[in-house]
Amino acid sequence: MSQTPPRGWLRLSGPALITGGLGILAVLALGAGGLAEPDVATWTAAALTVLVLAVVWRSARVVDPEGQPPLVPTRPPHENAPPYVSIINALPDPVLVIAAHEPDDLTGRRFVMVNDAARDLLRIQFEAGLLVTAIRDPQVLEAVDEALFGGLDSQAVYEMGGAQARVLKAFAKPLGEAPDGSRLALLVLRDETDIRRAEQTRADFLANASHELRTPLASLSGFIETLRGHARTDEGAREKFLTIMSTQAERMARLIDDLLSLSRIELNEHIAPQGETDLASAVMDVIDALGPLARERGVTLVPCLPPRGVAVVSGDRDQIVQVAQNLVDNALKYSPREGSVKIALVSGLTADAAAAPLRAQSARLSLLTPDHGPDLYAALRVTDSGVGLKREHLPRLTERFYRVEGQKSGERSGTGLGLAIVKHIMNRHRGGLAVESVEGEGATFSAYFPLIPGSLALPAVPSPGAVTKPS
Amino acid sequence: MNEHIVKSYEDELNTLTAECARMGGLTEAQVGDGIDAVVRRDTTLAEAVVARDERLDVLEADIERKAIRLIALRQPMANDLRKTVAAMKIAMNLERCGDLAKNIAKRTLVLTEAEPMSPLTRSIERMGKLVLGRLKDVLDAYTASDLDRALAVWSRDDEVDEHYNSLFRELLTYMMGDPRTITACAHMLFVAKNLERIGDHATNIAEIIHYEITGAETIGSARPKTDALAKEI
Repeated sequence: MSQTPPRGWLRLSGPALITGGLGILAVLALGAGGLAEPDVATWTAAALTVLVLAVVWRSARVVDPEGQPPLVPTRPPHENAPPYVSIINALPDPVLVIAAHEPDDLTGRRFVMVNDAARDLLRIQFEAGLLVTAIRDPQVLEAVDEALFGGLDSQAVYEMGGAQARVLKAFAKPLGEAPDGSRLALLVLRDETDIRRAEQTRADFLANASHELRTPLASLSGFIETLRGHARTDEGAREKFLTIMSTQAERMARLIDDLLSLSRIELNEHIAPQGETDLASAVMDVIDALGPLARERGVTLVPCLPPRGVAVVSGDRDQIVQVAQNLVDNALKYSPREGSVKIALVSGLTADAAAAPLRAQSARLSLLTPDHGPDLYAALRVTDSGVGLKREHLPRLTERFYRVEGQKSGERSGTGLGLAIVKHIMNRHRGGLAVESVEGEGATFSAYFPLIPGSLALPAVPSPGAVTKPS
Repeated sequence: MNEHIVKSYEDELNTLTAECARMGGLTEAQVGDGIDAVVRRDTTLAEAVVARDERLDVLEADIERKAIRLIALRQPMANDLRKTVAAMKIAMNLERCGDLAKNIAKRTLVLTEAEPMSPLTRSIERMGKLVLGRLKDVLDAYTASDLDRALAVWSRDDEVDEHYNSLFRELLTYMMGDPRTITACAHMLFVAKNLERIGDHATNIAEIIHYEITGAETIGSARPKTDALAKEI
């Protein structure tokens, strides 16, 4: 055998590759040109063209006279890579090429090529490896098998769990046989989380709005009826009814505001926020804003904040302000007159330390735990001096419209959405939320945000073996 | 190119891990579908879950056979031996999870005959999501050999317990309020118990991963344990 690679392959792949590349560039340009939903078929077809060429080219180049299988490329992904690699890597959708030898060897499916999007999504660290280590979902694996050995295009819905649950559509397409005899298939994943979320949010909104708005609405129409009827001439009753009506109308407005902001947050929940925010200054603003309300209720606000610049987190300032506001507002509601609300900010904690209980003998529950994220967090802790929460209420606190029994609805009027909003914002920020309560002494809510790596001026907690992940 | 492919020792070991991961994926699907069946009162899905359970049994037997074969023929040492034993033990735990998921599905068939109880179903759904996330995390830790993630699952077992205790109280309130709901509530209680035990199996798997990676058998006694229920009974 000669040492030169088979010429036919190279002759074929050169111009054809350029055509495929141009094709995909055209599609990319088209997508950028304002097409809201790029046609799946076009995408897949273009990706398919490039990938078939890519695999054929790679196989032709790697298979040497000694017959070494082309499955494990040894060079790093981007160095000296042929042009198609950067094209595939630039694709926004995760793409994997899967190879298999025998139908019966179910665990023998390997991914032999993955693009950057797939590497990010599936946390793949290697260029090639066993498919099940990246994707375990039986439906997706079946779809891949169908493409590999049935020679059919197939689809599956791939639901990834985790804090920010994602739903993807998996398209598997057969790529035929590689020169070494193994069969190849292409797996393209498309993120449909947005669509699913929009559907879910709409359904939730309708259900909540129709149910929760009904009560104040019924009371409003009741009073209107009465004012038109026998209370028409009663000056005192009219004044009283109008006050109640205006309270109910305000409640409805608040409810609608909260429902809308919850819907908005939920829609973007899987997209991490951009920008930097200084927690200390955001919290200070909230304390200033709620000062008058606290004075009115006879509750003292006790802030314990670090200097500015110590707790800088990545996040949306408005949403962070909303978290602080909802938590402090809640604490004010549950603190008695002459009571106090402590607002503390601690920076440089690990996730475990941020969620750890502050007092012995307390009931504690993590309402939201971040997935494996950065190592250090800044925690906002709001402690009220109320009667505390019973342990059995803790798991349900972030449920929409959940109210702790025996809570007076008149005086402490909330929409029942405050903590749900806090939880969703924290989840969007890849943070966490924990509650701790001692009956008779009060409750503490801890919301912790991931610190921007390297922003911590004072290393409060040394973290051995800390790995900074590329974001 | 008709060369004979000889599987190396390394390949055999990796296959064992991969088989476990595949079984894990199937278990996740079973548990997820079991929860969905209860929440959506979907009898077709419940029957599918019951029917699919056999596949898990077959997989477990297969992993065990392969592991024993590997021990007999290759006589693995240290790391490799731990990997083999871990695969066997994890398969066992996953199989139990599958049984519990099947049990949840079976109860769905009874529950759909009763009136729907939406607040309770929501609580079950929330607990189910939590447990499913736990299972996913631990399996991710296993495939990535990530000790930190495994330990995170291990140390957060109390969250599932808190949910279980809260559900227990909720169910009691229902049953005391209306004795006609007792049948359905009792089944719900078992569904919750099954979920809690799936959470325990996830914790077990985390311990096995710890053993596989470090070789140390116990992690320590730092795990927070809630005995609120014990105090009340």
